[in-house]
Amino acid sequence: MTSKIFAGKPGSYALLNGDEAVARGVAQAGIKVAAAYPGTPSTEILETLAKGAKDLGIYAEWSINEIVAVEVAAGASITGVRTLTAMKHVGSNVAADAIMTLAYTGIEGGLVIVVCDDPALHSSQNEQDTRYFAIHAKLPLLDAGNPQEALNMANEAYELSEKLRLPIILRMTTRVAHSKARVKLGEYQKLERRAEFDKDNVKWVMIPANASRQHRVLENKLLEAKKEAENSQFNKIEDNNADIGIIGSGVGYYYARSVLDATKFSWLKLGFIYPFPSELIKTFAAKVKKLIVIEELRPYIEENMARLKIDFIGKTELELEEIGEYTPDKIRTAFAKLYLTTKPKIPQQLNLPPRPPVLCPGCTHRAFYYALNMIHQSIHCENDKCTGCSVCEYACSFEKEGIFNPLKSRIRTTRINTTNLASACRACTDAPCVKACPKEALTQSKQTGLIKVDETKCVGCGWCIESCQYGALNLHPITHKPLICDTCNGSPKCVSLCPERALSLRGKSEDKIVTGDIGCYTLGVLPPIRAIQTCLCMGAGISQAAGMIHAGVKDKTFAVIGDSTFFHGGMPGLLNIAYNKANVCVIIMDNSTVAMTGHQPTPGSGKTVMGQNTKRINIEEITRAVGIEKVVSVDPYDLKTTIQALRETISYEGPSVIIAKRPCPLLNQRGLPREIKKGCGGCRVCTEAFGCPAISQPGTKAEIDTALCSGCGVCEKVCPFGAIGRKE
Amino acid sequence: MMKKKLDIVFSGVGGQGVVVLSDIFCEAAMLEDYDVTKAEIHGMAQRGGSIVAYARIGTKVESPLIETREADAIVGFEVLETARTLPMLKDNGTVIVNLKFISPSCQSGGVERKSMEELMELLKAKALVYEVDGTGIAQTLGNTLVVNTVLLGALSALPEIPLRAESFQQAIADRLNGKHIDLNLKAFQLGRECIQK
Repeated sequence: MTSKIFAGKPGSYALLNGDEAVARGVAQAGIKVAAAYPGTPSTEILETLAKGAKDLGIYAEWSINEIVAVEVAAGASITGVRTLTAMKHVGSNVAADAIMTLAYTGIEGGLVIVVCDDPALHSSQNEQDTRYFAIHAKLPLLDAGNPQEALNMANEAYELSEKLRLPIILRMTTRVAHSKARVKLGEYQKLERRAEFDKDNVKWVMIPANASRQHRVLENKLLEAKKEAENSQFNKIEDNNADIGIIGSGVGYYYARSVLDATKFSWLKLGFIYPFPSELIKTFAAKVKKLIVIEELRPYIEENMARLKIDFIGKTELELEEIGEYTPDKIRTAFAKLYLTTKPKIPQQLNLPPRPPVLCPGCTHRAFYYALNMIHQSIHCENDKCTGCSVCEYACSFEKEGIFNPLKSRIRTTRINTTNLASACRACTDAPCVKACPKEALTQSKQTGLIKVDETKCVGCGWCIESCQYGALNLHPITHKPLICDTCNGSPKCVSLCPERALSLRGKSEDKIVTGDIGCYTLGVLPPIRAIQTCLCMGAGISQAAGMIHAGVKDKTFAVIGDSTFFHGGMPGLLNIAYNKANVCVIIMDNSTVAMTGHQPTPGSGKTVMGQNTKRINIEEITRAVGIEKVVSVDPYDLKTTIQALRETISYEGPSVIIAKRPCPLLNQRGLPREIKKGCGGCRVCTEAFGCPAISQPGTKAEIDTALCSGCGVCEKVCPFGAIGRKE
Repeated sequence: MMKKKLDIVFSGVGGQGVVVLSDIFCEAAMLEDYDVTKAEIHGMAQRGGSIVAYARIGTKVESPLIETREADAIVGFEVLETARTLPMLKDNGTVIVNLKFISPSCQSGGVERKSMEELMELLKAKALVYEVDGTGIAQTLGNTLVVNTVLLGALSALPEIPLRAESFQQAIADRLNGKHIDLNLKAFQLGRECIQK
């Protein structure tokens, strides 16, 4: 497929998405260097280029983050070769420091910065509008509305860039980057350029005296750029001698054309949108009686038209929001308000269960999150199954006291109206029983959350019993010391002997702070895992956790981050907690790939995007080098060791790191699928606490879909009844 | 005579091959000089979420998205996901549904689950439904991975599809680049027969 993208003859057609079209466009322009960081929906630009890089004579790299990518591109451009960098919208924030001043220095070889916005947040954390970033940076911006425009703009942007001596921003949205269309391919330019650097030119050195001079140069370039915008082939008037004229940019323009009879309106498609082509707008306005503006996200065209004092019908009158993406249905509704077309048809309401994105079967993150939630465990009883038979009480008293006597049990069955229920210690955070004891006989383990009784101090007053809102504590009938569940060291007898399978050992997520970050593992916020509590931007989790600690929170604080996000933006945060001594346990989920964007290599995977072998960067060495003294590596599939490692960090004071290392299961051969054997009690631990999408429980017993099962086998360790095994 | 406009919705679960199948459909249309657009959303996780692709062919198509109740046909890889895209289908439209039901995981958000039979009834109440046992047919061919090709064959045989079988076969061969072509062409033919019968 990739070879087709680059091998396709000029004038022929190919089915390309916006990203692939950009790759072809920049290849036609003869670029020599491309640097990017993966981010949906921009990832396939560099990915496509890298596959054809050798044949095209291009150097392509996944840089460790967006600002590094822009700096690499800036360096290459200074030597006179044509260069590309690409990122998603939020990546431009990371790269902003470099981009802002790059506008001052200008360029030698043409430099194009592709930025993909994500209206409707298909896979992002905000809906920022890159057209305003262009104004902020004072860089010309082309706005592509479909893959054909993306190809043409990517190609032409280099002529423009070298004419103006400025980097050009090429903007797309998800609907352009990830829509495919029949795209006409163009000619390859033959450029013979040698990389050379003019060391004597002071314009590359942005000391104040030079920068001040370059600022004036930039303002003059923008005046030139405005002239280019006024006459750009990407700003096209289609004059149909109509009363109403429609001005639009991006994909919304094409929705408008398809919901209206296009021949009955005049059209102005804006593609070269900053600097704003005000003369062209005036020319178009003079041709029609009424103007309508269609643009997604912020009212950029509208604000400019208001400045020009030209009347128009915009978002307010059309009741189109700045939030989300436009759709043909929304545009039809808007035009129907003006009686220009019919209303959209009313969709059938179906109310079907959703199928949201989930962590895959076999996901290493799910296994780790399960362990994280299981730091503090307690006995859980399903009320609808419990019959109040008291077998748990017999099992407990025999196990702990060597006698079948429910009075000496650490679990108690009760009947409230029509409900039966078995209660044992819940290992509460800051347990009230501990506080209630006047003799300080009760202590709670930080590591396990379990309550210990010092029988030499206990006077049998029973205040602890009174303080427990679950009725989970009892006094021994003879010694009068409290009987408190200790989960039998993680293998409770009551659970394995409950005839109704109503009991299970469950963990909890609300007893600690876990800051999250950006990657597949962000899905750990969803039920049933519910392990993480924040997600701000790349690398933020570690520093947010530090902020909470310095503010004085009492809970144990963890920060979860993926390997690629760690390389991208997590390393400074880790160095910061080592330096400023924040008691945070950083968990690096190392699956050796950028999984969420489609398995790009990372500095830890030992391969470059061009397929060359390279040094495998060792995360553990980095963490020690920045000054973290407590570093443990675990295999997340090994739940016991992982839980143990987590518990040890709870009593550790100071910054620490756990590296949960195992490659993403999608990169490996599947293991033997598992199946439910005899003994499944339908306790729902596998579906509700572990939550693997390959396991479901439609009736009283769990079922495993062997087509989905990855064969990781973690569910075997999760099942309290040993009811899961290899499929025979 | 070229058709002015034809809108097809492809739906399924991540990992089933929805995107590839809709690509091949578009490429077959391009071989007959149709203009083509296709929208798809690459979900956040790799596997297990809903996946939809909209393919539009015609003399000139500008919007990559289809309007509500305007799609001519739905090709569903899985019963629940087929039902989910039903609001896109025009009145008296056609549905090709692969007889496979993948129960959504535990995160049903409080919405009552529906059985495969209930979902099939929902489809039949709204559309002309062709049931295709894609997995069964693929098993007789000894390779469960050709389910999509069976569905493509079924789609190609619908009366509303203006494209020649040869264009589909060409597009399949181009896409596969020499691997498993005979197997896939056989699967394509068996898919066609599901409709022609």
